[in-house]
Amino acid sequence: MGLPAIEIPETALRPVSGRGLQRRLFDYLGWGLCTLAFLLLGSAMTWILVVVFLRGINALNFSVITHVTEGTGGGLLNAIEGTLVLALGGIMLAAPPGLAAGIYLAEFDRGRLAPTIRFLADVLVGVPSIVIGYFGYVTMVVALGWKFSVAAGSVALAIISLPYICRTTEMALRQVPRALREAAYALGASDGRVTLGICVPAALPGILTGVLLALAISVGETAPLLYTAGWSSYLWTGHFTNEPVGYLTYVIWAFITEPFESAHALAYAAAFFVTLFVLVISILTRMVLDENAGWRRLRPWEKRKP
Amino acid sequence: MGNLTESNVITGVPGSERFVQDFEKGVLQSTLKISVSQLNFYYGPRQVLFDVSLNIADRKITALIGPSGCGKSTFLRTLNRLHETIHGTRMEGEVLLDGQNILELDVVRVRRRVGMVFQKSNPFPKSIFENVAYGLKINKMGGRGLIQEIVEKSLHRAALWEEVKDHIHKSAYSLSGGQQQRLCIARALAVDPEVLLLDEPCSALDPIATAKIEDLLMDLASTCTIVIVTHNMQQAARVADHTGFFLLGKLIEFNKTDIIFKNPARKETEDYITGRFG
Ligand SMILES: Nc1ncnc2c1ncn2[C@@H]1O[C@H](COP(=O)(O)OP(=O)(O)O)[C@@H](O)[C@H]1O
Ligand SMILES: [Mg+2]
Repeated sequence: MGLPAIEIPETALRPVSGRGLQRRLFDYLGWGLCTLAFLLLGSAMTWILVVVFLRGINALNFSVITHVTEGTGGGLLNAIEGTLVLALGGIMLAAPPGLAAGIYLAEFDRGRLAPTIRFLADVLVGVPSIVIGYFGYVTMVVALGWKFSVAAGSVALAIISLPYICRTTEMALRQVPRALREAAYALGASDGRVTLGICVPAALPGILTGVLLALAISVGETAPLLYTAGWSSYLWTGHFTNEPVGYLTYVIWAFITEPFESAHALAYAAAFFVTLFVLVISILTRMVLDENAGWRRLRPWEKRKP
Repeated sequence: MGNLTESNVITGVPGSERFVQDFEKGVLQSTLKISVSQLNFYYGPRQVLFDVSLNIADRKITALIGPSGCGKSTFLRTLNRLHETIHGTRMEGEVLLDGQNILELDVVRVRRRVGMVFQKSNPFPKSIFENVAYGLKINKMGGRGLIQEIVEKSLHRAALWEEVKDHIHKSAYSLSGGQQQRLCIARALAVDPEVLLLDEPCSALDPIATAKIEDLLMDLASTCTIVIVTHNMQQAARVADHTGFFLLGKLIEFNKTDIIFKNPARKETEDYITGRFG
């Protein structure tokens, strides 16, 4: 049994002319600009990575990771250790309040508090990091008498990380479909259960991305640490206050202007490590967000590439 | 659907005394499960339900039809107080469950007794087993062995067990759309609700999956009161004992399904079921 044939007027099948040329011109123009932008960005990035990696690898030898800094020579063990301690300390301080604030913003934004928190988070993102370093110096290093220390440096990094964690958590939770919450409510779940038992697990990849992003930012920061962590050529002895600590970005910042070959080599090696850390974190983030990873498949509402 | 006698034809307008008398005398020889009277509902300042009165018979299937946006989903949500999870809503009127005002009952208990299945299947990002067990766990119903047993029984009741029994710990999203919807029904059944509300449960499914769910509903009706919102009038005609027609937030007509489709009292109903609008 055939379906009745539908008459299609011949004009409907002809491509639209007249405007066609203009449209194609715009199309080419758009693609051209996109390609240009991509090349600009891509080449700048490649250039940076190539320089950092080539010079870094040249400067790299085993003693760099087994020895501490001596004057403007020696190794980077103290700086690598300090960077890890400061970054992890910052995340550990920033994650609990950042996650809590993000959950509050996404799930309980009734009163006037939520817009205020959101505004403050946005302002905090915009504050230059050196201002946060200065603030840390005045309050923690001097007023509280912590001196240059892991504590002051970690708190400064935590202040920088906080808004990123808070806002990405909020965004991730907002993407959880309302239908999922309703299903839980309809089974008799309380607000707390719905949020912590359903929404947070569902939003976990997004939330984790925010935390990793903040970690990457912490590893790469210099200015806030100059005023709070100070610098030390020795390994950290485990004191949270009254003991300055080394970190990689200081080596880059201070040693590249020294007139010694050994100092330059250390600076490049430090740049190599910072880049490597950030790269590893980025790859971890990608893996979290990878559509083929197991827990990604559990979340069909998230957008996928076609 | 049995022979209609003079006595079980409803002649009054919903909410009127005549209607209630007719309804109780005629259609409902069985007991009342839910009784809604003079329900008004507002989203913020906007009223979307107007003076809705409706009686739902125990262990029967009640279908609600009407053009989209007329308040069917909203009405359904008031029956298990799910509207309370939406900020800025307000409800006036009375919903009685077994004669008790649901606003005076504990909300968790109300939602356990009155389960819900949604338009789009919405399994949790958990395994098939965990999805069905969720309601049991949060309501602290039963230990490990009992949960296992109830999960299996619920999957049986939702006619899904045979298809999933070998991979019950796999992600719920590995199932097809129709299976996911039956999983959602199993999840709702696990806490053994007395009433099951379904909001257009087949609108995203193909005809075969739809037929499965319709069969399932008719089986369930022996143990459970069912209220189903549907866009599909054939579906209402096939499965429902009683049918209500909503239009612009008002319940226009409510009666035995046969009467609604063959001999509606109101012109609006006739226009709608003959496809003249909506
Ligand atoms: N969360 C909401 N907030 C505000 N208005 C809503 C909300 N949900 C539904 N409405 C409105 O209430 C009316 C009834 O909607 P609904 O109950 O979903 O109708 P139906 O299920 O019959 O299509 C519609 O006009 C809709 O726009
Ligand atoms: Mg609806």
